[in-house]
Amino acid sequence: MTIRRYFVAALLAGIALPAFAQQDAALDAMTAEELLPRARQEGTVTVYAFTSRIARVETAFEEAYPGIDMIAYDMSSTEQITRIKAEASAGIANVDVVYISDAPVVYTELLGPGLVLPYVPPRVVPLLDDSEKFPLLAQRLSTKVLMYNEEAHPNGSPVTNLWQLTTPDWTGRVIMVDPLQRGDYLDLMTEFVLQADAMAAAHEAQFGEPVTLDEGIANAGEQFIVDLFANDLILVSSTDDVNAAIGVVGQDNPPIGFTSYSDRRDNEDEGWALQVANTVEPSNGIIFPAVLAVAANAPHPAAARLAIDFLMGDDSDTGGPGFAPFYVAGDYATRSDVVSHPDAVPLDEFIAWPIDPAATAQIRQEVGDLVLSLQ
Amino acid sequence: MTTTTLARGLRLDGVTVLKLSVLALVGVLIAAPLLRIVLDTLAPDAIIAWSEVTTGRLSRNLLWLPLINTLILGVVVACGCVLIGGFLAWLVVMTDVPWRRTIGLMATLPFMIPSFATALAWGSLFRNSRVGGQSGFLEGLGLAIPDWLSWGMVPTLIVLIAHYYSLAFTVIAAALATVNSDLVEAAEIAGAKRSRILFGIVLPVALPAVVAGASLTFAGAVSNFAAPALLGLPVRMQTMATRLFGLIEVGQTARGYVIAILLIVISALFLWAGNAVVSGRRSYATITGKGGRAKRFQLGAARGPLFVVAALICLLTTVVPVVILIASSLAPSSSALLSNWTLHYWIGASDPSIAQGQPGIFSNPFILSGTSMTLALGATVAITTTVAGLLVAFVLARYGRGPLAGAINQLSFLPLLVPGIAFGAAYIALFGAPIGPFPALYGTFPLLVLAGTAYLMPFAVQTGRAVIQQVSGDLDESARMTGASFPRRLAAITVPLASRGLAAGALIVFVKIMRDLSLVVLLFTPTTPLLSVLAYRYASEGFGQFANAITVVILVISIVATLLANRLQTKSQPWLKS
Repeated sequence: MTIRRYFVAALLAGIALPAFAQQDAALDAMTAEELLPRARQEGTVTVYAFTSRIARVETAFEEAYPGIDMIAYDMSSTEQITRIKAEASAGIANVDVVYISDAPVVYTELLGPGLVLPYVPPRVVPLLDDSEKFPLLAQRLSTKVLMYNEEAHPNGSPVTNLWQLTTPDWTGRVIMVDPLQRGDYLDLMTEFVLQADAMAAAHEAQFGEPVTLDEGIANAGEQFIVDLFANDLILVSSTDDVNAAIGVVGQDNPPIGFTSYSDRRDNEDEGWALQVANTVEPSNGIIFPAVLAVAANAPHPAAARLAIDFLMGDDSDTGGPGFAPFYVAGDYATRSDVVSHPDAVPLDEFIAWPIDPAATAQIRQEVGDLVLSLQ
Repeated sequence: MTTTTLARGLRLDGVTVLKLSVLALVGVLIAAPLLRIVLDTLAPDAIIAWSEVTTGRLSRNLLWLPLINTLILGVVVACGCVLIGGFLAWLVVMTDVPWRRTIGLMATLPFMIPSFATALAWGSLFRNSRVGGQSGFLEGLGLAIPDWLSWGMVPTLIVLIAHYYSLAFTVIAAALATVNSDLVEAAEIAGAKRSRILFGIVLPVALPAVVAGASLTFAGAVSNFAAPALLGLPVRMQTMATRLFGLIEVGQTARGYVIAILLIVISALFLWAGNAVVSGRRSYATITGKGGRAKRFQLGAARGPLFVVAALICLLTTVVPVVILIASSLAPSSSALLSNWTLHYWIGASDPSIAQGQPGIFSNPFILSGTSMTLALGATVAITTTVAGLLVAFVLARYGRGPLAGAINQLSFLPLLVPGIAFGAAYIALFGAPIGPFPALYGTFPLLVLAGTAYLMPFAVQTGRAVIQQVSGDLDESARMTGASFPRRLAAITVPLASRGLAAGALIVFVKIMRDLSLVVLLFTPTTPLLSVLAYRYASEGFGQFANAITVVILVISIVATLLANRLQTKSQPWLKS
């Protein structure tokens, strides 16, 4: 099965030769111990990662495997996709490991044309659900959900229904990253449209009447996006700006917004009071996989697999040094043997919508155009 | 007789070959990338982008609103720059205001401070809590800063005027310095009023320069990326430059290229219009013979107040932003700029509790490699551009007739009309994929060098022309009559005599590349880190101190190089002479 996948990918890409594919398949079957000497020989491994936490992985990796230099670039998923496509059309092999969210685009634009290849370290195969192994390895689940300032609102979320965000109470006080700059925020917008029925029900629950659609607007999800933008939604360019806006302590009337639940981990260091709103109709946002893949023409194929193996963590309860930066409240490990973080809402009580990458990919561009027309 | 004709014929052939190769050079560097983006948007699956951008449901936000913002920026910045630059030029050149030399020097400096530095400095002072995070110094003092002063059009206008007015100053001051004081004195003796002298003599002479200053600053403002990106996006103000960047970044290249083409057309249209006005008035420019020392207007009682105004403008646009940048690269919080200074952002090791564990810039290998990459790029482009510019200028000066020379001339000045960000987009389009036997240049140093060389070609040709005109003629003729060959004449006469001018020109090219963001922001890849893009990325990710620290590094290098260039070419700034 796996080998055939590689052949298909190689054929589609028109660049990789079957010989390489065979070599890839051999590497795929190796344990970390078997990969190590080859990785040492390769000397370096280049990682594109969508999180700044990769810097800590780099330190831990180089400590665990001295002699292999990890070169990590922190780039947004959107930027990674553009770069990987540009590098591929330029015939440049630069990156080894792709650590990325934006699954809907990754599946269609990177995995489809064979720019990245799937790899699941053999030792974690039994620990993952099928959906976490195919089409690409999911390392953890990440979120874009409604967060508020718990210092200003000690009794829980000030918002209990998403439609409240469109009311005058929250004019100019809802903040998020520009969905046209960050794919996971576009996925969030897309999910509102995919969940149009739930959004319509929530509208009735909030206002006691069915939603009225503007001209050219197809459903309650789209209408919610329109109304949200009309309410002077604030767009910024990075999640840290969102976190600081919502979270900084000592604010009388802090804004509310969509960001990563896991950024709550920085509350102490940064002086924030971020907390997730988990009692919101119909949901508080999305939960989606962060995936790991090997670049199709990875210049360091063994080191690439070793790095992915490392990022999947060890057998301890918390995943060990490779997973340590991600063992935080708000990130959910895919490995079934990593116990969930004590400070977090357990995954089965967490109300965020899990995204459906295929369905999202279908209407994503349309939703992007809608957002563009609202800006 | 026959021999002469033959020799003449051969020489002409040689000239044609030379012209053709120079044409090929500018063709590949300048015309090909631009043609490529036009062709890309005409491809069957991309041509729909034209209607989407110009007429569809999305056109309002894709094109028209950004276009309106862009035009407002262009027009207001041009007016502001001509007013401020013209005022300072008049003070320095024509009046007896004290400290003229110092004002004259300081008024040329803001253009050497990158516009994103000024924008960052504005943020450090005026940022309010709209986007959360750190608020600025003034809000830290307890002042409430309204949104319109923190973000959007007003701060972008102020920052751009503060950046570009020195361009208008330089052009207008040079023109005013050519006003014939004999004419002014004659008019005074004949009893003309000051206003009549101003409108009858001074303004006509300065008009071409005023128009040139206005069109140059217009072109600069409409293509500027950094200021609207840093100050405009938080209130969703888009210009064509920021829209273009966003579209390319998310992979909507066809739409992006359409915007790029339209941006080039607009920029070209205005520069062409300005040029038309100037050439129509060219007759005035013949009054240039300068009769002795200019007699200066006596400002009388206004001398003090006008000096204070000029000094304030200069201080606010040079010293103040630099001081703010330095302070905010040291202060953990921009709302308390002067407290708790630390060198962490400069030399500190990674500390998870500060800025997500970002190490200080001098402890960050990525930034160190960015620094050497930037310096190498500046030095390489300075050399390639100067050589290419000299070559083009030589061909134009010596064999400037005929359609070939005309084409070379037009092409080599074309980049003036092309905003840097559009140029970057065109370069990615052309050199992003392999061309025949040539490998793709995406993410390589040579791509940056090529783009930089093409982008600064007009400037280098201008320098080359001035230099060649300075030394051509009699010396070259005499040497030729004594039988010296062309290479020998070049090596023994032109290059030694021109070396100061060439070196100064090369230094300015170096500075322009060092501080450029708009050209390289799209060409940036992790394998070719450049300081200006690193600073921009830090700033947009909310790590202001690191952005400011990197900017200070760029500033120091730029200012040193600029002062060096000024020393080398004091002659070209006649208004500085007393």
